[in-house]
Amino acid sequence: MPRRVAIIGTGQTKYSKERNDVNQMELVYKATTKALDDAELKVSDLDAIVLGNMELFEGRALPEMWCGEGAGGYLKSVTKIATGGTSGSSAAIAGFYQVASGVFDIVVVVGWEKHSEGHTQTAMAMVDPLWDRHVASGAVGNFALSISQLMAGRGITEEQAAKVTVKARRNACRNPYAHLQMPDITVEEVLSSRMLAHPVRLLDMCPQSDGACAIIYASEERARTACRRPAWVKAVATRHEQPYLGDIENRLIIMRTLRAAAKEAYRQAGISQPLRDLNVAEIYEPVSYAELAWYEALGFCDEGEAGKLIDEGITEMGGQLPVNPSGGVLCSNPVGASGVIRVAEAAIQIMGKGEERQVPGVKTALAHGYGVYAWADVMILSSELG
Amino acid sequence: MNELINIEIPMALRWQFGTGRHFSRFIQTLRNEGKILGIRCPQCQRVYIPPRLICGNCYREMAEWVDVKDTGVIQGYTVYYHPILDPVTGEPRPIPYGMALIKLDGADTTINHYLSETDLAKLRIGLKVRAVWRSQRRGFISDISHFEVIQ
Amino acid sequence: MRETELGKATSERFVPIEVRLTLSYAAGETASTFFTTLRDHCRIMGTKCPQCGQVLVPARQFCPKCFMTTTDWVEVGPRGNLISHTVVYHHGPHQPRTVPFAYGIIRLDRADTNFVHLLGECEIDTIHNGMRLEAVFANNRGAGILDIAYFRPTEEAML
Repeated sequence: MPRRVAIIGTGQTKYSKERNDVNQMELVYKATTKALDDAELKVSDLDAIVLGNMELFEGRALPEMWCGEGAGGYLKSVTKIATGGTSGSSAAIAGFYQVASGVFDIVVVVGWEKHSEGHTQTAMAMVDPLWDRHVASGAVGNFALSISQLMAGRGITEEQAAKVTVKARRNACRNPYAHLQMPDITVEEVLSSRMLAHPVRLLDMCPQSDGACAIIYASEERARTACRRPAWVKAVATRHEQPYLGDIENRLIIMRTLRAAAKEAYRQAGISQPLRDLNVAEIYEPVSYAELAWYEALGFCDEGEAGKLIDEGITEMGGQLPVNPSGGVLCSNPVGASGVIRVAEAAIQIMGKGEERQVPGVKTALAHGYGVYAWADVMILSSELG
Repeated sequence: MNELINIEIPMALRWQFGTGRHFSRFIQTLRNEGKILGIRCPQCQRVYIPPRLICGNCYREMAEWVDVKDTGVIQGYTVYYHPILDPVTGEPRPIPYGMALIKLDGADTTINHYLSETDLAKLRIGLKVRAVWRSQRRGFISDISHFEVIQ
Repeated sequence: MRETELGKATSERFVPIEVRLTLSYAAGETASTFFTTLRDHCRIMGTKCPQCGQVLVPARQFCPKCFMTTTDWVEVGPRGNLISHTVVYHHGPHQPRTVPFAYGIIRLDRADTNFVHLLGECEIDTIHNGMRLEAVFANNRGAGILDIAYFRPTEEAML
């Protein structure tokens, strides 16, 4: 049986369009030292390091070699994970496995990306060379195609998607780390922004950001002494998919990977009614419409009811289940970090360190990672061990 | 603050990716006969494009080749307002341009391809489409220039 | 980005892909100071760890052993010792020189770390570990590591 594991500290850099004041190793160092301070640990306390980064986006091999020592990797075990958008959540889950297995007691997970230094769109088109590249629909295009199915099949509207953007960019104003903060943004502004690929508009899309995020896991014994209010890991689940968009039937509606991952995670955590049993969720929404698709796949609502959740303010701050108090991926998106940020922000909510973005009385939090065409990671954190 | 330096690295990289026997047969048939081949899983019966060795759902090897038509049905669509480089000509595709997820007649997976129709009022899921082929075939799905709506 | 070879495949056995990109990496404040000092003053700088005292070259923002921000700048070199070397005879597409040429691992005076650079102005069969070297700066410098063109044996080393 795996050991029990908690998150005892987090560290984030300010996310922005370009961090030219630091190179990549230093960016990783910043996030790691902040997490060590938050956990009141020294670098010598770290047993192992897990890194999350999409190296191809920045055109350099072996990010773990260049940047590993920024995460305290000197004379330690360092593992790097690159799984698209889920890089950060895969890395977070891998770090959990390393402590849960009993091999290590304290593990830091650091995800980062510097999109300003690379060619992300080109790199994203460098998928399998035999097939996908020839009619590449790109990051926006592949969503746009699936969104047409979501709108036709589930009745989601452009206004509902715009409300997701407004929620995110306003929530981000209370997050000192967020890249995009828009206190005055309105649905009308979103709906009149430039159309990229129908129906996805500029303000519906996530940014590309520079930044790093670190979380520190501890075994049960170390967590009890080290941290006043650790965020205990109650459940983890990962589900991956077939290689081509065309293999995945009605992707955003069916989303079989996320449904399966959520079902498994809820089973592990003893959750039967997510809307009631969860107090906050940090989910990975690269485009506003995706958030609505995830509501349904995560079981926050019945089939076809996702639009209702946003219309009725259920997922707003102050609603029954606040989703993305941090502003989500729609506001900050250094790809290698984005999945770690979801876990970090969920942990911050449990630990009561959310400051202005704190949801009152959080006991159970969900963190979700999404990547590639349909990969899914789900993690559930709790303030209670039992 | 002192002057901040950026180090610039130009890269010119070349690769040769092996196709394997399945994709190789697909390429040959496409180029030599102008025909699209799919492959059927013996267990779940799904016909896949592009053809490949294993069905990921069942983890079974596939060997039953299926002729797939160059007509099909739109399952999802979008109109792009962003320029993108056409990988065959190297020139930017004129905007706007349409793209769709198309279930070709005979296949169970969809392919992603260009659409000549760019008027959103005329596009919906369920429309029938037909391939428009380029005059010179090289053995890629981009030998089809785009699909046009046929109803 | 230009993909020039895509679609030209006539072979059934492989797909050729070509990608051309220029990438631009931020050096960060510390390395920027290191590079601009090379460019503007032909001086090589290291940074010193306040805890263990080691001088890191090229200059680094933090000490990896102590995990602490480095605070002091120390000029190192321009002379140093050759710790190890190799001679490259086999041509590869990404090499900085035509073959045969030599790389050296060099410990500059007052530095505590080694770094890799090129050796020049010497006969290959005279290169030996332990020899004294001095930096030769490029005429056209652009704030990069090749603002040092190469290291050559000092006069004493040639005797």
